Amino acid sequence: MWWRSASFILDRQQHQNRTVAPSPESFLLSSPPPMADSPLNPKSNISAYYQTRAAHHAVVTSDWLAQAQAAVGRHSDDDGSLGDDKGAAPIGGGGGGGEEEGSGKAFSVIDEFNSWRKQPALAEAVAAIRALAAVIRTSEATTMMELEIELKKASDSLKSWDTTSISLTAGCDLFMLYVTRTSALEYEDFNSAKSRLIERAEKFGEISCKARRIIAMLSQDFIFDGCTILVHGFSRVVLEVLKTAAENKKHFRVLCTGRPDRTGLRFSNELAKLDVPVKLLIDSAVAYTMDEVDVVLFGADGVVESGGIINMMGTFQIALVAHSMNKPVYVAAESYKFARHYPLDQKDMSPARRPIDFGVPIPSKVEVETSARDYTPPQYLTLLFTDLGVLTPSVISDELIQLYL
Amino acid sequence: MPDTQALVNDFLNKLKKRKIEGSQATAKQTAELLRSVISQTRMPYTNQAAALIHSVKAVGERLIAANPVELAVGNVVRRVLHIVREEDLSLTTAAMAGLNLSAESDDEDDTDRDNHPALSAAAIAAASRSTLRPPSLQTLLEDVPDSAAVPHTSSSGGDSEGKSKSADKSSRSRKLKHDVIEAVNELIQDISTCHELIAEQAVEHIHQNEVILTLGSSRTVLEFLCAAKEKKRSFRVFVAEGAPRYQGHLLAKELVTRGLQTTLITDSAVFAMISRVNMVIVGAHAVMANGGVIAPVGLNMVALAAQKHAVPFVVLAGSHKLCPLYPHHPEVLLNELRSPSELLDFGEFSDCLDFGSGIGAPLLHVVNPTFDYVPPKLVSLFITDTGGHNPSYMYRLIADYYSADDLVLERRTTSGN
Repeated sequence: MWWRSASFILDRQQHQNRTVAPSPESFLLSSPPPMADSPLNPKSNISAYYQTRAAHHAVVTSDWLAQAQAAVGRHSDDDGSLGDDKGAAPIGGGGGGGEEEGSGKAFSVIDEFNSWRKQPALAEAVAAIRALAAVIRTSEATTMMELEIELKKASDSLKSWDTTSISLTAGCDLFMLYVTRTSALEYEDFNSAKSRLIERAEKFGEISCKARRIIAMLSQDFIFDGCTILVHGFSRVVLEVLKTAAENKKHFRVLCTGRPDRTGLRFSNELAKLDVPVKLLIDSAVAYTMDEVDVVLFGADGVVESGGIINMMGTFQIALVAHSMNKPVYVAAESYKFARHYPLDQKDMSPARRPIDFGVPIPSKVEVETSARDYTPPQYLTLLFTDLGVLTPSVISDELIQLYL
Repeated sequence: MPDTQALVNDFLNKLKKRKIEGSQATAKQTAELLRSVISQTRMPYTNQAAALIHSVKAVGERLIAANPVELAVGNVVRRVLHIVREEDLSLTTAAMAGLNLSAESDDEDDTDRDNHPALSAAAIAAASRSTLRPPSLQTLLEDVPDSAAVPHTSSSGGDSEGKSKSADKSSRSRKLKHDVIEAVNELIQDISTCHELIAEQAVEHIHQNEVILTLGSSRTVLEFLCAAKEKKRSFRVFVAEGAPRYQGHLLAKELVTRGLQTTLITDSAVFAMISRVNMVIVGAHAVMANGGVIAPVGLNMVALAAQKHAVPFVVLAGSHKLCPLYPHHPEVLLNELRSPSELLDFGEFSDCLDFGSGIGAPLLHVVNPTFDYVPPKLVSLFITDTGGHNPSYMYRLIADYYSADDLVLERRTTSGN
């Protein structure tokens, strides 16, 4: 548990020794991050997952891309040579570090992952699975066991590269489970098994788009004519839901929140393009407007085993207010976001930080709460719309158990 | 065929005029009607399951449209459709196993149609089984290409072996119908005996010297309480009369004839008496997919009173009352308004309700809803013929009894819903 007792004094000293302590001005989203040491380096306090999300909605300039590529190339070099917390096992497929396996190959699974991740329409888990498919394609293994071991190493390296992203972990786990299960079926020859795995993994990318469409279809019945919907942040799934509702000529109004990374602003831009009446709120105005709201709709970064969700900071607050005023809270999430994780309270996840710009310089003695996400317990959620159907929060653990047992 | 048409029309009339009382009777008659529809359906040479499903759906849509409030009709139609799919699937897997063992010579024909020649029959069976279950995380990666391939291979496999297996095919088609009708008979049997199965569990829930509260009259509740009485439990029952139909009076009379100590109260007295009650046991009209209950009017109030005083609220429901839809679905009509004459005597109030009076519209409106919606968080336990369950467990039973493809059975008159 973090920051709980008066030991926060000691903790803060420790924390300050580790932090790079950047100045707030350097985090303006419109300009590329000027930090020299790898802007996508997740080993610093900035969560790569949230950086990507910000990047998707901001302007991505070409030199920023080049910087990112260069940084990742350097980073995986560092990882390969250090091999610190892995102990004996070297990081498979890692770049030109002097390991026995990957020495000749320029292939890096993390490289591959980043190239897929840049596409704004593609979800993290799907990018991960595509990267793992590329690992299979370039692998020189001749038996299923060898292939599995390689895949495990690649998946572990992906997971450790960004420990804050839940859907990345979930996607990797799902694919590994699928691989072990498929190899259990009697395949007569290795090559056909390999090609089948590659084919399935490629197809998985389509599932991402298909899942969003299924979710959009399922949620249409819950959006009635004349309703007011409150959304938080920028979720591609929620955008799809509202797009479909607008195409079906439903009349509804949307209230957007989402600061400080301007995701609410971006979302309202998208909605304005669809001619949907939109109103922007600051996060603090949610309780004030909650009585006008009929439905609260969130996306999710991850769905945890208890049936709760992990989503952008502010979700829990809105869910609490909605619950106390008896408004239904719906979550739209694809099924590959289900993760075997059971947070007991807000601090029970690996911390994901994101830069917050207050617009004015802050004295160095003042701390800023920079966590990017929070956990909403299942009792505040009414229903989850997933591509597996409309589910109540208690179904999630059942699904996960069925998968992992 | 003309016979079934006449039967269907007759049943439709009864549904529209609300002549059938009670979801159990409705469910039973629907199942019997569908059984005759199935037995009368002509089966084509290939893809018989689709023909059956089509004919059942055609009749089912009309039945549901006749009385949308009676959800048991839709439930039974969907159960029958699920039965058809299940029986077809089990026959197909049996046939596949048989085919793979014997058809070695036909491999050359099969390979160009079959995407995965290296897969064993077990894998195919597993993949095809997954098409029947609702989609889950497990089946996420075993996606559409497999499930599309399997029915093709099964029917094309049948065709390629047609010459040697033609006799086998016609016997298989008869077998499908036979199996389906057997399963529908089991369904009818289950519907008829749901009361006994529920009543068997009574003795676990009702203890010595308890006070039970109920509202209105439900046959399931009556049998439940009498079963506990027969097992020598002594307890008392508070019956709320259930205005405006006052069916609580009938229940009270029945309970007294069976020897139970009964107290009759008005609906308004529920909050006053709830602190002296140990458990509330009620019946339901329908149970929705989220665990919410559509129950006779007044039960939402009882549920709120029970929650306030921490009294367990137990709902008894046979499995034919379990509906796979959510209450927000536009197809689910939560209520039906009955005649105002149950509340007011027309003789005394004729001038208030009169359209002829000065303004042209009556000043007095009478609203007489039949049902109440009880949200799932107020329900402590559901007792069905399969046992006692949490409201959050309902999705499991739904997955067992229904297929995802059958959920929407409305005739679409407009394009968007």
